[in-house]
Amino acid sequence: MSDEHNGFHAPGTFVLAIIFLVTFILLWLGHAKWLTDIWEMY
Amino acid sequence: MSFEKRTCEISGLEIEKNSESMIKLNMATAIIFFAIGGAAGLLVLLTRWPAIHLLPVEWYYRWLTAHGLLALLVWIIFFEVALVHFGSVTLLKSRLAVPILSKITYGLMLGGTLLVVVMVLGGQADVLFTSYVPLQAHPLYYLGIILFAVGSLIAFIHFFINAVVAKKEGEYKRTLPMVSFGIMAASIIGIMSIAHGAAIYIPTFLWSLGIIETIDPSAYRLVWWGLGHTSQQINVCMMVACWYGIAAFLFKAKPASEKLCRSAFVLYILFINVASEHHLLVDPVFSTWHKIVNTSYVMHLAVLASMIHAFAVPASIEMGLRKQGYNNGLFEWLKKAPWGNPAFSATFISIVLFGFLGGTTGVIFGTEQFSIIRHNTWAITGHFHGTVVAGTTIAFMGMAYFLIPVFFKRDLIMPGVAKLQPFVYGTGITILSITMMAAGTFGVPRRHWDYNFSDAPFGYQFDSTVDIFMGLVGIGGLIAVVGGAMFVFVTLGSIFKGNKRA
Repeated sequence: MSDEHNGFHAPGTFVLAIIFLVTFILLWLGHAKWLTDIWEMY
Repeated sequence: MSFEKRTCEISGLEIEKNSESMIKLNMATAIIFFAIGGAAGLLVLLTRWPAIHLLPVEWYYRWLTAHGLLALLVWIIFFEVALVHFGSVTLLKSRLAVPILSKITYGLMLGGTLLVVVMVLGGQADVLFTSYVPLQAHPLYYLGIILFAVGSLIAFIHFFINAVVAKKEGEYKRTLPMVSFGIMAASIIGIMSIAHGAAIYIPTFLWSLGIIETIDPSAYRLVWWGLGHTSQQINVCMMVACWYGIAAFLFKAKPASEKLCRSAFVLYILFINVASEHHLLVDPVFSTWHKIVNTSYVMHLAVLASMIHAFAVPASIEMGLRKQGYNNGLFEWLKKAPWGNPAFSATFISIVLFGFLGGTTGVIFGTEQFSIIRHNTWAITGHFHGTVVAGTTIAFMGMAYFLIPVFFKRDLIMPGVAKLQPFVYGTGITILSITMMAAGTFGVPRRHWDYNFSDAPFGYQFDSTVDIFMGLVGIGGLIAVVGGAMFVFVTLGSIFKGNKRA
């Protein structure tokens, strides 16, 4: 395999991707919780 | 083969004369319709803002229909036709294969648009963007849509004619360059999408003339979303192609794995059409099995494609900037990126907002259990302002800032305003999108002139929190309108009054 494919060339984007995925999961769960709360209000 | 061309001093691109004039024409037309569609959006915004409630009911629905058509279809597809020419001629260093086809495309799309706008604002087509039957518009409305669709269909077919001619004349060897590949994927989806449009709008046109007796509403909805949603995936493909394009033009950036990115475009082509079923999750006609297969499985294969691109493009920008020497720590490349260049800032804002606003919410709302609660609420409007506006429109704005000096040979006027514009527009759309979704979570209906149903026999009082969100939507919308006006001012001003380059 060439050097081009061996290194870790975009560590900043890797961290951004992790932030995105964690946010996404929290949004999804938070969304479910918020919806449930609002439905209980009615 | 020899043909008339020039070499652009900014980009080094070889620009063929016939395609150049069509790119300029389509791009300028797109921006003019963006301005009109945005003005229609302002009227809609000021009516849904309870403190103002500007328009009477009939005019509200007319301007809402016009806003949907002009902002979602006309601005975007005229710009995409410019990109089709750019990807199949300029980037392939080739020539426009059949120049007359480009002129026919333009004539049909412009004629169709004008017909539709006259019908809508003349009160002959109060059917909203989806024009669900049994609502019926004047036959000329449907004819206008058909003309527009045929025009854009010719443009997408023209992409392939140009690409085949370029290949035959030896302009490229094995496969298309990355950006052209993305535009090719968009063109395939475009043809698929417009085939659905023909399958539903031609019978509806005949129905409006009285030639066909009835149109089955459930069949209409199913086939219409083959047009309605699939056409949004043309936008996504074009947007992603713009991301790769700006990364390549500004930083000479290449994706770490082109094969992976190209495969992601193929995922769009294969799966997005069936994924459009998520619009019909609450429809009683289709079986649960049908809905679950489409929205719990197939849709995620299309979403996977967006995630691949959304990580591949910043990674390629990071690699490009690291090669320029910005290697300190994790984020020096991001800090030192050219944030003052609106082509770059718009692209990066588009990537981030598309991912966080449009992407995450699309996956959440497209889940069957959530869709049943969110369907037809304002949350859906908030979601697609996160995709088509925060994603596609801002990416096209970035591309316009890059293409105007290249094709019009003029400098951007008021560079200070251009520099700020993507941030202002992005901020406005972010506030608008999030607060629309928040209001929708409380059940505020989408589209509705009076969300309190004050004249209805059974009124409904929303929780008072909703009033705050309704006001914030208005504020976010106004900021977005200012950002949109800045874009129109800078781009049209540059096209007509920018300093001429040699």
